[in-house]
Amino acid sequence: MTSPTGQTLGADAGAGGPALHDGAAHPPARPVSRQHRHHWVIRVTHWLNVVALGLMITSGLRIFNAYPAFARKGESFCCYPFEGTPIPAWLTFGGWLAGARNWHFAAMWLLFANGIVYLSFIYLHGEWRDLVPRRGDPRDMWEMIKFYTFARRDHPHQGKHNALQKATYFSMPIFGALAVLTGLAIWKPVQLAPLTNALGGYVWVRYWHFLVMVVLVLLSVAHVVMVFAVDPYSLRSMITGGYNPAESPEARNARPFFWRRSEPLTLDSDRALDR
Amino acid sequence: MNRRRFMTLGSASIAGTLLGACDSVGPKRAASLLRYAERRNEQVERWLFRSGSRNRVDAGARLSGRAFPRYFISERIPMWNESERGVWRLEVSGAVQRPLSLSLDDLLKMRSVTQRVDHFCVEGWTARAEWTGVRVSELARAAGATSDAQYVDFQSFDSDYHESWDIDSALHPQTLVAYGMDRAMLGAGHGAPARVHSPVKLGYKNTKYLTRVIFMPGRAGGYWSDRGYEWYGGV
Repeated sequence: MTSPTGQTLGADAGAGGPALHDGAAHPPARPVSRQHRHHWVIRVTHWLNVVALGLMITSGLRIFNAYPAFARKGESFCCYPFEGTPIPAWLTFGGWLAGARNWHFAAMWLLFANGIVYLSFIYLHGEWRDLVPRRGDPRDMWEMIKFYTFARRDHPHQGKHNALQKATYFSMPIFGALAVLTGLAIWKPVQLAPLTNALGGYVWVRYWHFLVMVVLVLLSVAHVVMVFAVDPYSLRSMITGGYNPAESPEARNARPFFWRRSEPLTLDSDRALDR
Repeated sequence: MNRRRFMTLGSASIAGTLLGACDSVGPKRAASLLRYAERRNEQVERWLFRSGSRNRVDAGARLSGRAFPRYFISERIPMWNESERGVWRLEVSGAVQRPLSLSLDDLLKMRSVTQRVDHFCVEGWTARAEWTGVRVSELARAAGATSDAQYVDFQSFDSDYHESWDIDSALHPQTLVAYGMDRAMLGAGHGAPARVHSPVKLGYKNTKYLTRVIFMPGRAGGYWSDRGYEWYGGV
């Protein structure tokens, strides 16, 4: 909210911050608690993962379109209701089967190497502690759901992530590993026959690979929606690494699409923070 | 430009780039990177390859039968025309001590193998059949393939279709020059009178309507491998 004169208004007059704030004359005090939230390794692997997953999913869908079904020739498949229906072309990448395969088999190394770097880093650096499930997590998840559905008034206490986020971020690498494993079993069903057979054979492995992709897409879409609907400040922290706890969803009592901007909220203060 | 405008324009241009990329083959500059990845993948695949690996299909498993797809690149089903081309013969030559020219009868007299295996198509489907034929390793032995034989080119009379293989995959015990399918002679839609069939390579590597098996010191590309598909095409 910038007035024509360049002055900026506090978000919610009377809610604790100054109602009218002249940023130029009185730069806001730099909050002492601005935290370094994401190590650069986490930020780099996060955005590389966006590229790798994006390429793998879109090229994978183009590969799928060469035979958008699971049944072996001469048989039927029980468990896919859309046998024979191709994925819309605008969701695919690679142009044709060979092009998509070449991208898929190149980007898989980026996904794999990036996953190894990420997992090694959080193991060695201790970030895994922020993600590993704890006994109270199901209860905390339930409290978060109650809060999001207005059945609870105040945001449950949270540390770096709330319980729903924790579960999502913990399961993401697990499904990523399952994607790699089922992918290997499709790539080499003869040379790695024991792996393919252990997963139910080629037809089923292709199905598992597809379902794992669907889960990864759902988790990613939920993640992106929640970033914008609940905590857009976390987008900045995944780029710069910094995070202001005064802007946390808990501090703002933020539900999806229902939250106040943090205070003081001015462009000037933002600049001051970035210094 | 203020922050909000920057974010809006930034998101819009990223979204535009992504939408523009939809269904495309990707940037031209990526082509060399993709070729590099393919060469590296071939090394990994060769490292994974075991001649002791087997594709096994249960004896009681259902075969694809008439649902087994027919495929060829010519406009019509390729048929060997004896009045034009004389009797069909299979030539085994190149880096061998005793080049062979085998009639179908000669082939039928050689030690044969019958195996139920999967057929892995690059498109993602699989089909099952019971194949009867002579192992390529048996042909290599009969012709006396030399140590120069590091690759094999399988050539056909289906227009200019051919595909070359690494010697290890060609000599795999499940790689056959097949003349029988599902206990009958090979049909015209499936590569008669003889074709390559193996579960260790994707379908397009399995040359049908076979005329020549040429052992050689270097690779010779192939119909689909020259058109963007991986040369190795291993399973």
